[in-house]
Amino acid sequence: MKTNILLAGVGGQGVITLGLIISQAAIEQGENVVMSEIHGLAQRGGSVTVDVRIGDYHAPIIPDGDVDLTIGMEPLETKRALSRAPTGSRVVMSTEKLVPVSLSIRHEEYPDLLLLAESISENFHLRTIDAVSAARKSGSFKAANIALLGFVVGTGWLDLSLESVRNQIGRIFSKKSLEINLIALESGLEMGKAAQQEFLQHPA
Amino acid sequence: MSAYESLLTGKPGENMFLLGNEAIARGAIEAGVAVATTYPGTPSSEVGDILYEIGAGAGMKFEFSVNEKVAMESAFAASLAGLKSFVFMKHVGLNVASDVLMSISYTGTRGPMVIMTADDPSMFSSQNEQDNRHYAHFAHVPLIEPSNPQEAKEFLKVAFEISEMESLPVIFRTTTRISHMRGIVTLSAVTTPNLKGRFKKGGRSFVSLPSNAYGFKDELVAKMGRIGAHDFQGILNRSEGDHESRIGIITSGEAYNVTRDVLDKHQINVEVLKLGITNPMPEKTTREFLSRHGKIIVVEEVDPIIESDVRAIADAGFPEVTIHGKMDGTIPMSHETSPNTLEESLAEMLGFNVADRKPFIQGNELPPRPPVLCAGCPHRATYFAVKRAVKMLKLNDPIYSSDIGCYSLGNYEPFSEADIMLEMGSSVGVGTGFTRVTDQRIISFIGDSTFFHSGIPALVNAVNNNSRMLVVIMDNDVTAMTGRQPNPGTPVSLTAGRKKNQSIENIVRSLGIDSVKTVDPYNLKETLGAVMDGLKNEGVSVVIAKRECAILRDNRMRKEGLEVKYHVVTEKCSSCYNCVENFACPALSVSNGKVTIDPVLCDGCGVCAQPYVCPFKAIEVTSIEN
Repeated sequence: MKTNILLAGVGGQGVITLGLIISQAAIEQGENVVMSEIHGLAQRGGSVTVDVRIGDYHAPIIPDGDVDLTIGMEPLETKRALSRAPTGSRVVMSTEKLVPVSLSIRHEEYPDLLLLAESISENFHLRTIDAVSAARKSGSFKAANIALLGFVVGTGWLDLSLESVRNQIGRIFSKKSLEINLIALESGLEMGKAAQQEFLQHPA
Repeated sequence: MSAYESLLTGKPGENMFLLGNEAIARGAIEAGVAVATTYPGTPSSEVGDILYEIGAGAGMKFEFSVNEKVAMESAFAASLAGLKSFVFMKHVGLNVASDVLMSISYTGTRGPMVIMTADDPSMFSSQNEQDNRHYAHFAHVPLIEPSNPQEAKEFLKVAFEISEMESLPVIFRTTTRISHMRGIVTLSAVTTPNLKGRFKKGGRSFVSLPSNAYGFKDELVAKMGRIGAHDFQGILNRSEGDHESRIGIITSGEAYNVTRDVLDKHQINVEVLKLGITNPMPEKTTREFLSRHGKIIVVEEVDPIIESDVRAIADAGFPEVTIHGKMDGTIPMSHETSPNTLEESLAEMLGFNVADRKPFIQGNELPPRPPVLCAGCPHRATYFAVKRAVKMLKLNDPIYSSDIGCYSLGNYEPFSEADIMLEMGSSVGVGTGFTRVTDQRIISFIGDSTFFHSGIPALVNAVNNNSRMLVVIMDNDVTAMTGRQPNPGTPVSLTAGRKKNQSIENIVRSLGIDSVKTVDPYNLKETLGAVMDGLKNEGVSVVIAKRECAILRDNRMRKEGLEVKYHVVTEKCSSCYNCVENFACPALSVSNGKVTIDPVLCDGCGVCAQPYVCPFKAIEVTSIEN
């Protein structure tokens, strides 16, 4: 397997944790992985991207145009990250909107989500999930990154076994939060499978 | 238990998926480092965070020093007492410590000593991308460059061996990509450090008086000559690929990784000489490499340092070999080695095609998300108050002199309270300089850690020059931007094992400054009053805006079981937008024309509920739960 996965979101959404779980699950399956985290100026609230490269790679940065799968925790940040992905590649996006201050100070509102998703799906294979709602139902909105991960696994677009993903979640979380995250994973997984089924029956 | 505990307990042979900086911390433990010192700075900060937490468990003495110069002096003392010492910092930190470096290369060391510099090509979190490999040449000390976390751990141990071999400090250079990449690392055995130091008198002098230094220089040149005679083949340096290829590539560090990936992608088989020690250049290895190839490409970050050496060696013995790199324009002089740029640089010479690429969007099509102060950050309130004070006093064109730390984000809208920002402590020094040449009012912003690091001498200078300026010391208890490390002012309760902390107010008062006021920035009225008083004063005024970092406050409140949130009472909101326009907390946004507060992002500081931010009293507290 040689796969380049680009993760995007906003600081505080758990993007690095998501990259860590994907990487460790791939390692558990016998793959080599290099991953990059950039620790920017802001402690919270800035754009965050994480590159995960599975296979015989050396540099932690995915060349622009070589991204196989983009996983976005936030719509604007997903779209921003897609400048690095080739059109026609796969994109999974959580629909949680986080309004950047650059809009708020001009009293401008967040771009229309449907239009934003449409502009992406015209150029990419897109699947979306309301990961925050799924996570909230599982016990905590904080598990949104894990619900999104379950969703990605459910689409079949990420060559990771559910077992290795579960194992790695178990290494990071414990007790009550582990329980919540495993429920979130499961619910995301079912939604991912359903989304894929829906697509096969009614291709866009 | 610390999150980093596994770096201490991991067994030899075990594989871990480590950040470069985690691998370096483990490397220090495997090497048996006795004393480690640092001043935090991205991209080196995690090494300190880890050793602060688990260093003692490894038997190591660890120190967050007041600045990099003191950190290096402290580590050097351990070396003189015969112990293994490790000092690490970000690249610009080595500028601060360079005065020490330039002397200790001459005096030499006793116990092995390694100096790590974490460079930042492309400036992800720095004011420049200076290539600190120059310091190794400048000071005549060996330079080690790892390419990934595994090498970072192994090469660090070799660096200590080289230091021990010739009693010289060794520079260990990472870059952001190495320090902040994760890769699989196989652990080796740890070494229990020897902590029994003793400074033995007699023998070699460590007094760098001119008469001694004169002789030190000859010794230094001889030491480097001996190290240059080693090839370190298979230890630090290796060559791979077709020995008979016409083209050969010489590279190091992250530039090697990118080169390797580009060659693999296009299935190009040329010989690559990967160097792990680049000062002194392994002469014999380089000569042999030049003898095998007609054309050499040097790929490195950031400046053409290896390239200069290779050109010198080629000039002296291989005039028929052509050299390509940064100096002939083959590879750009600025920024890190991007895979796409390198692909384009090498395509023609190596004979492959680069696919045309049309990006889906241009960067400026979307609303930007620049880094912001956190919701609940006390600095936001301070900036708001200062801006309001300037407006109320109708000050014409004041100069905002800013400094290094989270508060440098005050540069962004809507505050725009940074006109100049250079390096640690510069806010006060530059501010003082302005008072001599312009009648514009000067407002300097400096954080607590930066104040201790290098703000104090500048403030002494300001008092000495009777400068009319306002210095706002933004004290949030910790070195926040690099991850909330303790500094000399940090409350004892937040530190591991410290017995006392130092009062910024006492230090400031001891300088003879009369106009000193400590305020809580969450209290806008009080802060505004203090800033206005300070601006009216004729001499140096200091306002200390003291309030814990919002992330520390979160952690404390969670422990105490407290949760406070605010919300907008929509009927009372007049949509004046003063809050979003002028306070600009990330928890505030506009939806359907009305201001709302995101309950997840809201930190409960309550500053936005004060009439300066919401004159209509439309923001109210939601709940207080115990």
